[in-house]
Amino acid sequence: MSAAALPSPGIAQPASDEWPLMRGDPTDASLTDAVLAPLWHSSPAWWALFAFSAAGTLLLLGTVAYTVMVGIGTWGNNIPVAWAFAITNFVWWIGIGHAGTFISAFLLLLNQKWRGSINRVAEAMTIFALVNAALFPLLHLGRPWFFYWLVPYPATMNVWPNFKSALPWDVAAVTTYFTVSLLFWFLGLVPDLASARDRAPTLLRRRVYGVFAMGWRGSGFQWQRYRVAYVLLAGLATPLVISVHSVVSLDFSIAQLPGWHSTIFPPYFVVGAIYSGLAMVLILLLPVRRAFHLSGIITEAHLNAIAKLMLAMGLMLAYSYVIETFMAWYSADAAERYTYLVGRPFGPYAVAYWIMTVLNVLSPQLFWSKRLRTNTAALFLVSVGILTGMWMERFLIIVTSLNRDFLTSSWHIYMPTWVDWGILAGSFGLFGFLFLLFLRFVPSVAISEVKSLRLELASRRRAESSHA
Amino acid sequence: MTDHDDEFTRRAFLKLLGASIALAGLDGCSRIPAEKILPYVTQPPEFTPGIPVHYATSMVIDGYATGIVVESHDGRPTKVEGNPAHPASLGAAGILEQASLLQLYDPDRARTARAGKAPSTWETFASAMAPRTLRQRVGTRGAGLALLLEPTASPLIASMLASLRTLYPDMRVHFYAPFASSARTIPQYDFRSADVILSVGSNFLAEGPFHLRYAREFADRRRSPLAGMNRLYVAEPGFTVTGGTADHRLQCRPTETEPLLESLRAALDGHAPQSEWIAAVATDLRAHAGRSVVIAGERLDSRAGALVTAINDALDNTGRTVWHVRSPLLGAGDPGATLTSLTEALRGAGIDTIVCVGGNPSYATPASLEFSSVLRRVPNVVYAGLYENETARDAKWFVPTAHYLETWGDARAYDGTYSIVQPLVQPLFGGKSVIEVLAALAGNAAADPLAMLRASSNAIGMTTDDEGWSAALRRGFVPGAPLPREATPSTPDRSPELRPEPAGAAGTIDVIFEADPRVHDGSFSNNGWLQELPDPVTKLTWDNAALLSPDTAKRLGVATGDVLRLAHGSATLQIAALVVPGQTNDVATLHFGYGRAGAESVASGVGGNANRLWPATDRFALTGVMAERAAHAPRREFAITQTHWTMEGRDQARSDTLEHYGGATPIAPVRQHQPLTIYDPQQRLGSPLQWAMTIDLGTCIGCSACVVACQAENNIPIVGHDDVVKSREMHWLRIDRYLESGADNPEVITQPMLCQQCENAPCEYVCPVGATMHSPDGLNEMVYNRCVGTRFCSNNCPYKVRRFNWFDYNAELSVTEKMVKNPDVTVRERGVMEKCTFCVQRIREAEISAGIAGRPLRGDEVKTACQQACPTNAIVFGSLSERDSEMMQRRDEPRSYSVLEQLGTVPRVQYLARIRNPNPSLETGR
Repeated sequence: MSAAALPSPGIAQPASDEWPLMRGDPTDASLTDAVLAPLWHSSPAWWALFAFSAAGTLLLLGTVAYTVMVGIGTWGNNIPVAWAFAITNFVWWIGIGHAGTFISAFLLLLNQKWRGSINRVAEAMTIFALVNAALFPLLHLGRPWFFYWLVPYPATMNVWPNFKSALPWDVAAVTTYFTVSLLFWFLGLVPDLASARDRAPTLLRRRVYGVFAMGWRGSGFQWQRYRVAYVLLAGLATPLVISVHSVVSLDFSIAQLPGWHSTIFPPYFVVGAIYSGLAMVLILLLPVRRAFHLSGIITEAHLNAIAKLMLAMGLMLAYSYVIETFMAWYSADAAERYTYLVGRPFGPYAVAYWIMTVLNVLSPQLFWSKRLRTNTAALFLVSVGILTGMWMERFLIIVTSLNRDFLTSSWHIYMPTWVDWGILAGSFGLFGFLFLLFLRFVPSVAISEVKSLRLELASRRRAESSHA
Repeated sequence: MTDHDDEFTRRAFLKLLGASIALAGLDGCSRIPAEKILPYVTQPPEFTPGIPVHYATSMVIDGYATGIVVESHDGRPTKVEGNPAHPASLGAAGILEQASLLQLYDPDRARTARAGKAPSTWETFASAMAPRTLRQRVGTRGAGLALLLEPTASPLIASMLASLRTLYPDMRVHFYAPFASSARTIPQYDFRSADVILSVGSNFLAEGPFHLRYAREFADRRRSPLAGMNRLYVAEPGFTVTGGTADHRLQCRPTETEPLLESLRAALDGHAPQSEWIAAVATDLRAHAGRSVVIAGERLDSRAGALVTAINDALDNTGRTVWHVRSPLLGAGDPGATLTSLTEALRGAGIDTIVCVGGNPSYATPASLEFSSVLRRVPNVVYAGLYENETARDAKWFVPTAHYLETWGDARAYDGTYSIVQPLVQPLFGGKSVIEVLAALAGNAAADPLAMLRASSNAIGMTTDDEGWSAALRRGFVPGAPLPREATPSTPDRSPELRPEPAGAAGTIDVIFEADPRVHDGSFSNNGWLQELPDPVTKLTWDNAALLSPDTAKRLGVATGDVLRLAHGSATLQIAALVVPGQTNDVATLHFGYGRAGAESVASGVGGNANRLWPATDRFALTGVMAERAAHAPRREFAITQTHWTMEGRDQARSDTLEHYGGATPIAPVRQHQPLTIYDPQQRLGSPLQWAMTIDLGTCIGCSACVVACQAENNIPIVGHDDVVKSREMHWLRIDRYLESGADNPEVITQPMLCQQCENAPCEYVCPVGATMHSPDGLNEMVYNRCVGTRFCSNNCPYKVRRFNWFDYNAELSVTEKMVKNPDVTVRERGVMEKCTFCVQRIREAEISAGIAGRPLRGDEVKTACQQACPTNAIVFGSLSERDSEMMQRRDEPRSYSVLEQLGTVPRVQYLARIRNPNPSLETGR
């Protein structure tokens, strides 16, 4: 039914010869039931987590309100370190947001069938990470109520943003990415929302899901239009995966600050973003898989594929680390050399530097082992490590470049305040809050895609057995 | 307090609500005052609303006047500047003079008189002090009456005291300020004629009544290094501004001062010198006999001073570069007029009434003198002061005094110049001047100080008629008539107090007591500008500390911030230590003026009280002090604005030796060059005047007068201790201080760092909203209204001179504190970036004035605030288009360079490398 619209139909290749992409012999109905089950029943564990993340969200609201009312001075930022936690959080969250689109759109275009069972979680993660990310540059302004001055709108005074600055580019890139990601996610959801509508136990839920299903009936005509639109959006989203974090990296590399002023930044940032995004996907997916008993749909094949991708990204990131340090030395510039060769490895934040190196460069090397690539505990721990390492990487890029720059007289350390920590912790809360709502109200696996995968696998099995 | 506030807020809100509804229709564009007012029929000739007027007056510190010019906007003084014609100023203004303006508006100033704890009035006070009443207490001859005044050379006060003495022949009159000299004769110097200068413990460039003049004279001999540069040797225990300027600095414990001078005198007489240093100095001095100066610290004991006099005699300097005059201070040289003799008299039972005017003797005296408790035993203590301070607490009667900008008066400068103190405003808080208090004692409760001043001025022949008086007022002083020279004082015997003795037992150190460069003796402790001004040497703000050398700190087991317990006899002091490279080993420097306990809110809780350890009013050094780390005291978090002292091998502050500079090799390794560009920079900037600045590091002594000038001119807020700890001080201009060649006795280079007004400004292209732009006349402008506060500009500024309003720093200003703001400069709101503007308001004002006059503006007509305040003229401002201007001519020197020129920012500020003039025969050490 859908094969015609896919770019390269053919036979779905399992990601690995050893592990199936789907276990058992589920029927369409049982797949739908399995995925929709969490929508109809909540568990005490969900409520506990929800309460916890709601408390985190309140912390975020409180610290944000305090910041807006009193001023950025409630943070630890200073001169020279005028950017610190908030921008670190921004880059970190937006990096996490990359994996969703990467898995959904990039892999869709590359016809990687294994993406089907995990793309929904990845896309939801993208949206929520972007919500968090967008909060920070806004909040970080001295006068956040004038944030719209960064947007090119026809003001009566004929003042425009300064297009030479990377920050308006950033606004454009992030809002575009958010819009496309949201549309892409919602479009993918439409058939599943229709399934939810059809199976909802109460009238109210039927109505609500019905509104969001936008009249989906599953006709061939609808499927044909749907597939075209989905692939088009995927084609639109794919370059954004590259461009958004490239533009984010330009926030730094257009500056002349040692540690920022570097041409390697765009690919380096994109790799780091996908890297951290994959780690976050695993952190979310592994508990969901266990809690909702989805190991039949999300198999070792998926875990293995993600682990391999993480290893590849980790190697590319390590290469970036080496090259930027080499270039700093090769520049023969005193300030550049100091930042990379003295300030970061041996300065006041040296601990963070070495933790980052171990977590980002060494820990993924575990995934040379096939056994560890499918070991959920190892995957989870390494993912947490990578997320931590990536946060520290962004912190180091921002803070250690600023705290010791050209004139030694203005060198000064930065120390975060409780508000800084509160906002960071609160952003986890908001992320968890949104994600738990997502799990509770939205099908967390793309039912239609899994069902189509089942059909393809079944037909392949039939072809194989008839051949035998 | 909070309850009251809450209630007030609620009530005020309801009142406002009602009032705003009722008056909504009535409120037009202006507020109509309740009183009937009349507009000027004839506008006063000097007054145009909106145009500031400048008045000449004088500020007295420790008895001597410095001539100043005060800018007044619509009747409120907004800026203190130097009086270019006054001999003690020469146009410059020190940090105390400039910051005294904030004191005028200090909301903590006392507002009401009181008798005991009950509020009272001036009239009640005056009738209680009138001779008719007071005689009943102090006897008809006034034997029970004592006066304690601040040191003064005022002829008017002298005549008032003389007439008071006719009323009370037996009254005692004493004068006291911790750092005022009470010597009968005072030395005067001519540094312009000095080729070689040796300072033994004297901070003559940054302290004392003539420091502005001396700094100028000293710098004039270093401005053109190849044209007869002077050489400065300094031997000192602490580390001062003067020591940082020295070509050779010798660390010298207080006990070593006298032997050093003895040895030097012996060496000059031909005996073998004790050290290579002394030998080199002696040779150099002898080679410049008659053209050198040896100057001793005022707080060294008299024996050292006499030795210095003898050395100057031997060098034939006396009468040429050094001479003595009779001190114009009242009571100078009279042992019966000192605080010590007063304390003795008070300990006896004879004194019934003591009248203290100004000063703060209950605080600013050695604790061992127990002046405060002695004072409290006196039946009738009268204190007139600016604040309800420690002395006010010990007083029965308290009367608020007027600030000097609110009073008439006269004074003498260090060379005797008759200087006039004229008021710019009516007393804001109803204070009375010392003249009015003395008049009240004479029975005149409603004295007219102006009339008295004119009478006094006529009596001593300074002004005779109205015309002369007006001229004197306009000028601020009466020129000429310096004090007659006197014979040099004879050498007294070796003083018993500071014998050369071996270093004390293990664990003991020497302690020296210094005037704080910022709050002086504590009389400026409540001044936020000064509290937040980084100490010129340590860059410490909002604190004092025990300054220790790195070695001594190590030996005592303390690091910066650790609390040290100092004990000498029964006196103890706990104070946090601060490690200062260059401090003499085993010597701790303590600054006065902290650990205040008065009602002043800014000063409270700041630092430790050095007076507790201070042995006697005439002794400023102590040996054999037990020092140990206070075990359980919490560490003190110092607010220091610069924490990294070396340049890490970079070359932002350049220096060279005269020998090398005069040779064939050019000094600056990189010459200023324009980066390659396809644009024509001249074309891009359209205006005929292109503003630029040249700063001579060779004459910058790091005194920080420019920092206060900038703060006052540009409405720079005070952020407080906690925010300075977080590196959020708002100063647009800072003085970077770098140490070179080792931590033991480093060479110092000070560098004023302000917005470099780059032609290719890195801040401009990164601003997302275009809030910082380039003007046609080459200024990097900051548009506060447009700034959203991304702070990207600061990140991309390689000089880190941009400042951010982290909070609303102006939210809690009192009504009077708001009055100090310069109306020509925007008061910035929370969340916007700010930075040096090259005093754009002064540029525009000059342009407008020139435009009205219909003539072209010359670049050197505009003076920035920092340039104006600089005692050494290290800063010059002007236009790149005027080749003949001083600013441009200095740029042509081979030692001119731009900071970080390799970045291609093309700064409009250029620096001249510091040229040192070390003695070639002193290869090692300094």
